[in-house]
Amino acid sequence: MRRFVGESARRVEDPRILTGRGRYVDDVRLTGMLHATFLRSAYPHARVGGIDVEAARQLPGVVAVFTGAEIAPVTKPIQIGTNVPGFTCPEFWPLATDRVRFVGDPVAIVVAENRYVAEDACDLIDVEYEPLDPVVSFETAQDPGLPPLFEDVGENVIYRVENSYGDVDSVFASAHTVIRETFHQSRQANVPMETRGAVADYNPASRELTFHASTQNTHGWRFQLANYLDQPLERVRVLCGDVGGGFGLKLALSREDLTLAAASRIIGRPIKWIEDRNEHLLASGHAREERMEVEAAVSADGLLVGLRARMLLDQGAYPSIPTASAIYLHVIRDLLPGPYRMQALAFEGACVVTNKASMVAYRGPWEIETWVRERLIDLIARELDLDRIDVRRRNLVDGAPEDRSITGSGLDGISSRQCLDLALEKIGYAQLVRDKAAARETGRLLGIGIATYIEFAPGWREWRSQFSEAASARIEPNGHLVVYTGQGPTGQGHETTLAQIAADALGVPLDHVRVVHGDTSITPLNLAGTGGSRAGTWASGSVMMATKRVREKALAVASAMLEIDAADLDIVDGMVTPRGVPSEPTPLAQVANTAYLAQRTLPADVDPHLAATETFTAEGISGSGWSGGTHVCLVEVDLETGGVRILRYLVAEDAGQIINPAIVDGQIRGGVAQGIAGVLYERAAYDADGQFLAGTFMDYLLPTASEIPFIEIVHYEGPPPGEGVEFRGVGEGGAIVAPAVVTSAIEDALGHLGVRVTEQYLPPGRILELAGVVAVGG
Amino acid sequence: MTFESVRLEVNGVVYERVVEPRRTLCDFIREDLELTGTHIGCEHGVCGSCTVLLEGEPVRSCLLFAVQVPGASITTIEGLTGPGGALGPLQQAMWDNHGFQCGFCTPGFLTTITALLREGDVSEETLREELSGNLCRCTGYQSIIQGVLDAARASGPDTETSR
Amino acid sequence: MKPAPFDYHAPTSVDEATELLAKLADDAKVIAGGQSLVPLLSLRLVRVDHLIDLNRIEALAGITEGEQVEIGACSRHGVVESSPFVRSQIPLVSDALSFVGHRAIRNRGTIGGSIAHADPAAELPAALLALDGSVMVRNTAGEREIQASDLFTGFLSTSLEPDEILTHVRFPRWDEGTGWSVQEFARRSGDFALAGVMTVLGLGADGKIAKARVALFGVASAAVRAEAAEELLVGELPSAELWSEAAERVAAGIDPPSDLHGSSAYRRQLAKALVRRSLQESATRLGAA
Repeated sequence: MRRFVGESARRVEDPRILTGRGRYVDDVRLTGMLHATFLRSAYPHARVGGIDVEAARQLPGVVAVFTGAEIAPVTKPIQIGTNVPGFTCPEFWPLATDRVRFVGDPVAIVVAENRYVAEDACDLIDVEYEPLDPVVSFETAQDPGLPPLFEDVGENVIYRVENSYGDVDSVFASAHTVIRETFHQSRQANVPMETRGAVADYNPASRELTFHASTQNTHGWRFQLANYLDQPLERVRVLCGDVGGGFGLKLALSREDLTLAAASRIIGRPIKWIEDRNEHLLASGHAREERMEVEAAVSADGLLVGLRARMLLDQGAYPSIPTASAIYLHVIRDLLPGPYRMQALAFEGACVVTNKASMVAYRGPWEIETWVRERLIDLIARELDLDRIDVRRRNLVDGAPEDRSITGSGLDGISSRQCLDLALEKIGYAQLVRDKAAARETGRLLGIGIATYIEFAPGWREWRSQFSEAASARIEPNGHLVVYTGQGPTGQGHETTLAQIAADALGVPLDHVRVVHGDTSITPLNLAGTGGSRAGTWASGSVMMATKRVREKALAVASAMLEIDAADLDIVDGMVTPRGVPSEPTPLAQVANTAYLAQRTLPADVDPHLAATETFTAEGISGSGWSGGTHVCLVEVDLETGGVRILRYLVAEDAGQIINPAIVDGQIRGGVAQGIAGVLYERAAYDADGQFLAGTFMDYLLPTASEIPFIEIVHYEGPPPGEGVEFRGVGEGGAIVAPAVVTSAIEDALGHLGVRVTEQYLPPGRILELAGVVAVGG
Repeated sequence: MTFESVRLEVNGVVYERVVEPRRTLCDFIREDLELTGTHIGCEHGVCGSCTVLLEGEPVRSCLLFAVQVPGASITTIEGLTGPGGALGPLQQAMWDNHGFQCGFCTPGFLTTITALLREGDVSEETLREELSGNLCRCTGYQSIIQGVLDAARASGPDTETSR
Repeated sequence: MKPAPFDYHAPTSVDEATELLAKLADDAKVIAGGQSLVPLLSLRLVRVDHLIDLNRIEALAGITEGEQVEIGACSRHGVVESSPFVRSQIPLVSDALSFVGHRAIRNRGTIGGSIAHADPAAELPAALLALDGSVMVRNTAGEREIQASDLFTGFLSTSLEPDEILTHVRFPRWDEGTGWSVQEFARRSGDFALAGVMTVLGLGADGKIAKARVALFGVASAAVRAEAAEELLVGELPSAELWSEAAERVAAGIDPPSDLHGSSAYRRQLAKALVRRSLQESATRLGAA
């Protein structure tokens, strides 16, 4: 029964957020809590000689100072990705020991009575650095002649992969044209409004570690903390309240988190660390620094028949926990054909280490596959003098049952064609084209951008069958429902959407449901956390299953109480109602009360404990498993200033069944904003010597309300839902496709100048260089 | 290390504390007064998460030292809320419009908007510029704008938020 | 990001402030709005043993109307921006202030502070140049006036002595019919300009340009006047071609910095475009073509 699902129900989270009563990790106060700060390397690459912390230790208010040499003995060395064949992970420690490898590399931790004093103490620490030549450019990092950043790896390429699908040589041999291009993305950063931070609370009496986190993955972090601190899992508890955004960053347990926990264990007191913004920009991690060289085999009528792609990914110095950068290469490779009918693909990829901050997952970490592919479609159209939309239509698969990408992804049921049509219709594409021409007459340069994408949310049939998720539910003695999920929301509104699912599944009012997350001692194990657009399906499905199970139990009790067959009972609005027979409804509260407090009145075979934990598997999912759509935008480029204004932006999106439209639209717009910013504003820049240049918000430019346009959204309504769960994720899509549509529009605006856009970061100066108005390197 | 005595009024309550001169106003509010609704996003005045009302005017509490404003009257997000957590018209409008997601930028936005709405008419064009001093990473701003326009319509020019 | 420790002083008169500054000298800095200084303290790029807070000195705030428009150094940007008197007398200043940061910054930042800080991409130093303004400064020895053209000496540098406090900013009153314009281009709303231009034009009885001021910001180590362009304009009839010529002259005479946000060549191009637009806009306000 659908009462709440599909409605834009007001969020459960909002009353506390709107009144300043959110509980973020910096709001955690514990008795005896101390404050930590990290001393960080100012060198991109150096040997570390002596570290003199005596003066720091003596400063009044300082409780402890630990260096890498003191933290290492209480932790295991960090090594990740050991299950990824061919990925050579260096061994390293939470704090740098004998070498620092990026500006911001943590070298010591100071624990003091407050953050002010801790920073004073940092000023008193003396480190002997012997600078080494930094490896900054990820392109030159491949040079085998360069000394390796990690001696145990022996080279700076830590992963290589090579795969081939279809008959690549033959497809290229018979191609009408081969287009060659190299595409560059620039380094960006997730930059949630809340930086990283934690309170590590080790209790020596109980030997328990309680870790208050700002995380997307409580259970994953518990697992990693237990592992690296050699702490029994059952004595590790991760707690998480509200999180001020993550976008993938807070999936990674950081070296600072491990150091903090280790320090707490050594001194036996709770310690808080809240990252400041400068540290955050410097050291929390970056993303998107990738390059792809492609050769595209194209038919005379614009079919992208085959692709040779060589990709380079800059993973910074230290691999981040727990996902090896190699994995992203695999995903990029698998998704590169997208929804198009490519016949052959040769993919070569490499991950290199450089003296820069670690690569972390950032909203659609494989985004480059969409960007390159959509750029290619535009370039093919330009090269062959064909219409971009015709070329897309020609290349798109239909979503027929037999449709499958050359890399193996099942594409049946995708709605790419329909979304493309919807987008063009809703934006009034023909009129846009006329507007563009008319504007040209008055000297204004407009450009129209189009891009199509798919994201696996939760993925096609075989892919999603690898996963499952559990949830727990309990009907309380008052007839209300508590649901426990291992998800880690950071603004997606799970307390609301999952309550909507549960309320409908049980048949109770929305405010009779409470969703509990953020406590590993009571939520079901979920090592994946929240990310990858999976909550929409997996969390919903698991909550639905667990709720249905407790509903069955409740009806079994009600059946015994009312002497009516359970199959003839319904629960509507919190009342157990017999079907067909006119009779008084019974409050679910009464049923629950009876179950818990009057068990003796029930038959022996009726389970009075109205709780359940259920595992939701892929069998419960129907539909294509792909979200996706088409974005269209209209930009104006000012060739005197290089300024780009987005005049219109429209999203036509297939997100399957939607639990809460307002929440979905919010996710889409937030993602689009980040994608736009990656083109026009944001660059986590290093100079040639490895110094970081964007350490404040004056230099790392997040878009404001003036820079993000009004974003129109239309949802594609596909075929009626199947039997299973079809709430698909949408979290990442906006960020994945927006760079493609904005660069497409800029290229369209400058098309008459012969400009080809093959780099993603286009600040005003670069626009004028591309347009030939300003000399390059002047 | 020197210490100074500070006495000021926050959300209608007078507080007196002894602090170092370098104690920023946002740390004073959060740590010394334990009013954790105000958030710290950058500590260099750009993101706006720390914005509070000083004598009714929005200021960056990360760019003020507590000792600089003796006797001042300050309003934080907690001060925009009625007794028992009752939502004021602005907060209600933001709730209805799904204005925010993670909530971290919210305190700075609400104080800024409260001052804005007091001044009179708002339109979508002027609103975007007026709110450019508050960064949000989650929403793309549209839902916030919508909420403010709604609040402006509902309240009319003379309504004060509940205290 | 917490500042290093300092002692705090809050004088209530200018004399008290100058005495403190004289006594504490190199170990001290004055703070007015703090919108530029506090981030530097928090990042520990600047450390002081003593902070002298000027905000309690009532004599330093306020706008007075005399032969000139005189604004107390500690007057808030926001107060000056919304002053009807300033808007009627020197509207270029009101307009320039609307580009300064955001509302919350303008509620604390001060006119004097911005000018003394002398950020090369800031608006107020350029406004002072464009309007032939001056500042009054004081130390224990007395006070003196510094003309705008003598004030800005380099990157974040002015000709103030270390023991001098800027007390007032003066703008001469305008002639009627003066044309003016502020044009700037920034990456985002409220950012420091990548380049900016302020122009002032006055016509003679013969319809030719009698007075021209072209001040630039963001294109050098300090705000500058493009005197060569000004010379080109004086004595000419207003025309679109003239504005373009002046813009070319400006572009030829600057050597802007390159940084993360733009190359030297880009800033040069930007300055050229903005000069042309600014002169065009000034002329419109004149009522000329």
